[in-house]
Amino acid sequence: MEFETELASLRETLLRMGGQVESQIDAATRALRERDRGAADLVRRTDQQLNELFRQIREQCLMVIATQQPVARDLRTLMGIVYISTELERMGDYAVRIARITGTICGLPDKQLQPEFGLMADLTVIQVHDILDALIEMDEVRAREVAAKDDDIDRLYHRLFDTLVEEIGEGGGPEAALRGVTLMQAAHSLERIADRVTNVAEDIVFWESGQVVELG
Amino acid sequence: MADRQPSLAATAEARQRPPQLSAVEGLTPAKLSAESLSFYYGTFRALKDVSLEIPERRITALIGPSGCGKSTLLRIFNRMYDLVPGARVEGSVKLDGEEVTQMRDLLQLRRKVGMVFQRPTPFPMSIRDNVALALRLLGHGKAQVEETVERSLRDAGLWDEVKDRLNTPGTALSGGQQQRLCIARCLAVDPQVILMDEPCSALDPISTLAIEELMSRLAANYTIAIVTHNMQQAARVSNFTAFMLMNSEDRHGELIEFGPTSTIFNLPADKRTEDYITGRFG
Repeated sequence: MEFETELASLRETLLRMGGQVESQIDAATRALRERDRGAADLVRRTDQQLNELFRQIREQCLMVIATQQPVARDLRTLMGIVYISTELERMGDYAVRIARITGTICGLPDKQLQPEFGLMADLTVIQVHDILDALIEMDEVRAREVAAKDDDIDRLYHRLFDTLVEEIGEGGGPEAALRGVTLMQAAHSLERIADRVTNVAEDIVFWESGQVVELG
Repeated sequence: MADRQPSLAATAEARQRPPQLSAVEGLTPAKLSAESLSFYYGTFRALKDVSLEIPERRITALIGPSGCGKSTLLRIFNRMYDLVPGARVEGSVKLDGEEVTQMRDLLQLRRKVGMVFQRPTPFPMSIRDNVALALRLLGHGKAQVEETVERSLRDAGLWDEVKDRLNTPGTALSGGQQQRLCIARCLAVDPQVILMDEPCSALDPISTLAIEELMSRLAANYTIAIVTHNMQQAARVSNFTAFMLMNSEDRHGELIEFGPTSTIFNLPADKRTEDYITGRFG
């Protein structure tokens, strides 16, 4: 396969992976909010597809680097694809973690989730969507703008953390404590996904400009 | 490459400044320099307005498509062009600040600035005599000649392979060994600069590796300028890289970009450099 075709194919696989990750995160947070054990199981099973795409990307990138010995922008493209696919794979893992947490929550008495939780989930899904748009357009400016919004999610996370600590402190027995701790893990997973979005933004800047930046 | 490169900060700083002369200012002193250098074969201008500095005790690679003037530039540094009828230079070429184009003692110049060619060129004589010939012509005594022969062969990484057969013909060696013999011959007269014109293009990968390792060792004591078509070789062995190109209108060679190799191969400033090193033309 010609070099340009190889790069185009890799880019297409990366974007496909991005689309799947976005769906996975959306499905996982929806399953948690709706206490939908079946939807959560589907997220867990679908993760295999993401892992397979990640494996394909890594193998293809290694093969292209070994056979074509790219430099400059071509090398940054390949490194960018490897970096970003790694971030996407980890985001997928967090979606699975949220799906597992849903299983635990479904086994506990039904109780309304904190409003910050829904807000945080919505914002995280939007962040993932926006960074994928920046990736499709290879828009460095937009990538930086997306990364700058990470603070909003961090603030929500800290607020939710405090709320959950308070609830655990109020007593309510082992089930209430388990619910609090489990939701804390879910909130932490969302916060980590948003951090990975920032990493992708940094990777896009590197890919486009060659500059290694810290946007967090 | 990395351990001999300027620091990342220095590289980044160098990128902020215009290319050519200022790219290496303050990093290492210039051994050889060209300033506003043009070169003519009769009425044909082969090089136009080239300015660059070859840093001392570093490896500088000259890269670019065929016909861009990189070998011509290399040959100007030790006045090889003197043998070409109608050839002339405009501008300045300096070795340690001394004008090369005005030098009268070419023997001295070529002692200081040695040359290794694309194809190994051993003389039709023994391994020992290949290295000793110039020393004898310079009037060195027998003991000194023997000592220098051994030192030069050792420095060229060939001694262990030939010490038991110094009287056999140099032409009987393998291609890679012949090229190292030529480097030993060059080292024997104690040069300061070694010019290499595609020294590995006729060699297999193992011999190429041996020459590249040798170059890295020699760079501790010598200034090296190498013309190569092998982009990966330039990236592997050199500290600085000059990219040259033939002007499409009047076909003269010109310097497009010069800077630390890490910069040229990662973030070249000129699109033409990027297109060339990524294989999009040339």
